Amino acid sequence: MSAKTRGTPAVPTFRRLMVANRGEVAVRIARACDLLGITPVFATSTADRDAGYLRGRETVCIGAARSPQSYLNMQAIVQAARQSECTALHPGWGFLSENPVFAALCEAHGVTFIGPPARAMHLMGKKTPAKTAMRAAGLALIPGSDGILDSVEQAREVADRVGYPILLKAESGGGGRGMRIARGPDEVASAYADAQAEAIAAFGDGRLYLERLIEGGRHVEIQIMADRYGNVVHLGERDCTVQRNHQKLLEESPSPSLSPEERERTLAAAVRAAASIGYVGAGTMEFLLDQGTLRFMEMNTRLQVEHSVSEVRSGRDLVVEQIRVAAGQPLSFGQADVVLTGHAIECRINAEDPAHNFKPAPGKIVRWHSPTGEGVRVDTHVDSGYEVPPHYDSLLCKVITAGATRDEAADRMIAALGELVCEGVPTTVPLHLQILRSPAFRSNHYDTRAIPGI
Amino acid sequence: MPVKNFVLDARLTPPVLRARLAAGPDGRQRLLAPGVGMFRGAPDPGMLVGPDQPIGALEILGVVHHVLAPVGAGGLVVAPEDAPRSSAPARRAVGFDDLLLVLDPSATRSESAANQSGPAAGPGVSGGAVLRAPTSGRFYVRSGPGKPAFVSVGAVLEPGQTVGLIEVMKTFSRVLYGGDALPSRARVVRICQADESDVAQGDPLLEVEPVDAADDQNTKPHPA
Repeated sequence: MSAKTRGTPAVPTFRRLMVANRGEVAVRIARACDLLGITPVFATSTADRDAGYLRGRETVCIGAARSPQSYLNMQAIVQAARQSECTALHPGWGFLSENPVFAALCEAHGVTFIGPPARAMHLMGKKTPAKTAMRAAGLALIPGSDGILDSVEQAREVADRVGYPILLKAESGGGGRGMRIARGPDEVASAYADAQAEAIAAFGDGRLYLERLIEGGRHVEIQIMADRYGNVVHLGERDCTVQRNHQKLLEESPSPSLSPEERERTLAAAVRAAASIGYVGAGTMEFLLDQGTLRFMEMNTRLQVEHSVSEVRSGRDLVVEQIRVAAGQPLSFGQADVVLTGHAIECRINAEDPAHNFKPAPGKIVRWHSPTGEGVRVDTHVDSGYEVPPHYDSLLCKVITAGATRDEAADRMIAALGELVCEGVPTTVPLHLQILRSPAFRSNHYDTRAIPGI
Repeated sequence: MPVKNFVLDARLTPPVLRARLAAGPDGRQRLLAPGVGMFRGAPDPGMLVGPDQPIGALEILGVVHHVLAPVGAGGLVVAPEDAPRSSAPARRAVGFDDLLLVLDPSATRSESAANQSGPAAGPGVSGGAVLRAPTSGRFYVRSGPGKPAFVSVGAVLEPGQTVGLIEVMKTFSRVLYGGDALPSRARVVRICQADESDVAQGDPLLEVEPVDAADDQNTKPHPA
């Protein structure tokens, strides 16, 4: 069905759109393109060009299997968009999706980058300016230093004020590097030196800031959608506490731990915060739920893997909305039109071997069967015969179930995962089943320190 | 005032790319696009092309790159079966690895090196024992750029010793020496894979030979 027949005003949108990503998200973007009557053109590496999900699709091979030569190769991707006559480009998640330089390169060559403006992306990519902007908009922060620390002495002063234990973090950090914990005043000097040395080695930037270390909170995030005309809406929150090595395993909405008052207050503040920085498109603000208070951690300026949880609860298609907004259309719905119903759970199924400490397991999938049924959604690029390449991340599929209650959604998930067939490579399905059946998960007694049921 | 306005004219010193070489049917060579872009200026059928000779220009985001034939390429340009007609556009869009040109090396018999492509990565057939890749992935012989290699030819290995790293989906794991078919103490004869090469499960990594207790004395890397 085209946009016209859906009753939206006939504002011109794109005719051809470059999908600058691979796997599950590439399929997801193409589905939105199909709905809007846009022809997707896939940028693909040599490792993916023969994959089943590209069958019958237009593709441009952009480089060799390794991502620096293909999915991270900005010039090749923009040139591919140009020569295949695409006027827009969707970066998906990961790879170049949060790279303001890439967004600017697209714009310079007349290709609309589907994402926030480069300046909003740049602002949120820096830790302390992002926090300053969010505090000004009324979001609660994790107590800590006002920006960059000058010296160990200053670190000690701030630590005395906010209380121990504290966490020293690198301004340019990521992936858990350049972080050190100090549990008392005598540990600050050595933690400071260690964190700084690691930050210089890893990121070439030794600037540090400080936060109180919150142990055992819950990871909650808020989905935002905004257009160019200052309209900002939220699509509720998601609880992503169940993680392994900082990788999310299971997400759900609503968060079973959040009080209605705190939800109301933070959702409104998040909308105000996004509006205050002139945000456009889909974005996510991540929070730590600390004894009932949501404290802002960071903002992801892109579509997220778990966006489908919010789609299931709201009945809105976030990728379609992203493309429309990028084409200059206003949001097709207002906050009052967003009705969040029931409970949704998503499990990320990875090609990893739970029996061998979750070692990634590339290989050929001999037989694949996606689960079906009431309230079950499966997002995947995998089918029988698909070969999981060793070069990229191990996400095979996302299963999302919806139910009137949390228990109903969880029971449907257990049934769906039981129906899923993946022969040839091991998957994380057994781990998900263990979590979903555990009393700790069912009674909501867990936090970021441990996986429930493990 | 310092002279800061000096601009290198890209038209005078265009960047250079080398086409990729692949073996085609009946001994012909296929020169493939080294990147995405608009390609033009390929030599006409019947012309002679050798290594490092220009075979056209690839325009990437408005920047013209000269495309040269790679080392090992050489022969007469032949029209491929799906040859563009004379009415073909002056320039065409190509993707990475798309066909640019077909060469017939037999027509020249110069330093035809059609079989030069691809390193000798065949399995170890010299009779020694072979340590094979435990999983598919990218093989690293050192722990990081500028770091020493884990093992070198002539080194003596013991079970449990790290011989390299394999990266699978961004996760690194160590490749340890050991296995039923391998001698408990062995000397490295050959390292079969270059650093950062992609290996499949079961590909040979090292060729080793057993070390006797007797001649072990002078080869021990770290005398006790």
